[in-house]
Amino acid sequence: MSRRINHKLEHQPVPAFFVRGPSAFARLAFFSLLSIALMATDSRLHYLISLRQSLQVLLHPLQLLANTPSQIYRNVDEYFTTHDRLLNENRQLRQHELKQDIALQKLDTLALENEHLRQLLQTNKSVVESTVVGEIMHVGRDLFTKKIVVNRGERHSIEAGEAVVDATGVIGQVTRVYPLSSEVTLITDKSLAIPIQVERNGLRAIAFGHGRDNTLDLPYLPTNVDIQRGDKLVTSGIDGVYPAGLAVATVSQIEITPDSPFARIICVPTGGVENHRQVLLVSIPRVEVLPSNEINAAAKPDAQAKPKDGKQSAAKPVNMKPANTKPPAKPQSNNTSKPHAAE
Amino acid sequence: MPPSKLKSVYFSLIVALIFLLLPWSGVWLKIRPDFLLLVIIFWIIRAPNLCNVGTAWFVGLFVDLATGGIFGQYALAYTITAFFAVTYQRRLVLFNNTQQLFYVFLLLIISQIVLLILKTFAGAELIGWGYFLPSITGILLWKIAVFLGLNTGGRSRGA
Repeated sequence: MSRRINHKLEHQPVPAFFVRGPSAFARLAFFSLLSIALMATDSRLHYLISLRQSLQVLLHPLQLLANTPSQIYRNVDEYFTTHDRLLNENRQLRQHELKQDIALQKLDTLALENEHLRQLLQTNKSVVESTVVGEIMHVGRDLFTKKIVVNRGERHSIEAGEAVVDATGVIGQVTRVYPLSSEVTLITDKSLAIPIQVERNGLRAIAFGHGRDNTLDLPYLPTNVDIQRGDKLVTSGIDGVYPAGLAVATVSQIEITPDSPFARIICVPTGGVENHRQVLLVSIPRVEVLPSNEINAAAKPDAQAKPKDGKQSAAKPVNMKPANTKPPAKPQSNNTSKPHAAE
Repeated sequence: MPPSKLKSVYFSLIVALIFLLLPWSGVWLKIRPDFLLLVIIFWIIRAPNLCNVGTAWFVGLFVDLATGGIFGQYALAYTITAFFAVTYQRRLVLFNNTQQLFYVFLLLIISQIVLLILKTFAGAELIGWGYFLPSITGILLWKIAVFLGLNTGGRSRGA
């Protein structure tokens, strides 16, 4: 009899009260250590990149599902746009196209001329970048960083380090590539630096994201620097990432305080960092490596040519390393102050 | 109340994850409550045998993945929060709704403070008091859920 009762008792679900396994504190210690180890590995070593990529693939269908409501809303909204508005838009686009066609005709002749001149000077061929159009999937979820996620990834041969541009200017750089999407750090992020040039006088500098507001800083420029409010900043193209001449920002405020040797210059980005959906991902230009005998020939007449070169190319105000100590590495971090490509 | 099933735990977590993945932006991003943590706290209060510190850690990993930060930040924050929730679980069941609400608020704040410390170590700049807004919207969401009839174990003795 008692055996039967025992038998019955064994099959009963055990009350939740007793099933606690290891104590909560033991679990806390174990999982805390695990996450601290993960954090250390992820921030200092690069072992977790493939893990992140494969897990991101798992998350992708959920992401698409989460994007559906807004997608449907947009589609419905588009469907019900009035005839009048469409006609208007069409007219504007036509005008725009005409203008651009004319500009393009000029560009063709200019490109030819440029090519010819380069041949005459026997310099490297200028590199033509290939571009991919992407659409912004969502804004980064971390309040501390300024990022967006774009629906083009490794499958579309996107690489980390590519410049991201929209119709009005540079908006950022690809910092992380997943199989089907990629993460773009905006130029307003604190960790991103972009080499720029003042359009008016050709002054070169590096702009850093401010992080909190949607502005850029131009640090390390002396108080007597020739910069005025309203100056346009464009990419200088010497970094080997951003094509030269793209609009980056306009100077909005210059503060000069007597207690600091540097001017405080605040700029507003030109690109619609927050309000466009389509962006252009510009591939990293590959520079042809000079044949070694040519380099030797160039080095022979002047034994000190190399160090000189290094000094010359360090024209950027805050170049951390001389350009010739390292071969141009594949840009992996989001720091753009890397040795630039020799032109 | 009927015993909860493991399936419903997973289902609610996936739904919360989809809510997290919605394309939030602007002000909405700033006040977005931490859906996954709320779901975890709910399950820890209601069924600690199904959802524990380990679950919280695992869910935290996915949040890390979704936010694109360093792996382990959310995992650690959720682990610590879940630890406090588990430690006081038996007491929590005896609280009335208002007390419970206050306790959940404390838990949300704990997770945010842990995250803030980790982010500051990683070199982020502070973004002001607005950072804690998601905790407030979080307990509002909790209140709404209780009002709509979700049984969180809190007794309406005082009410």
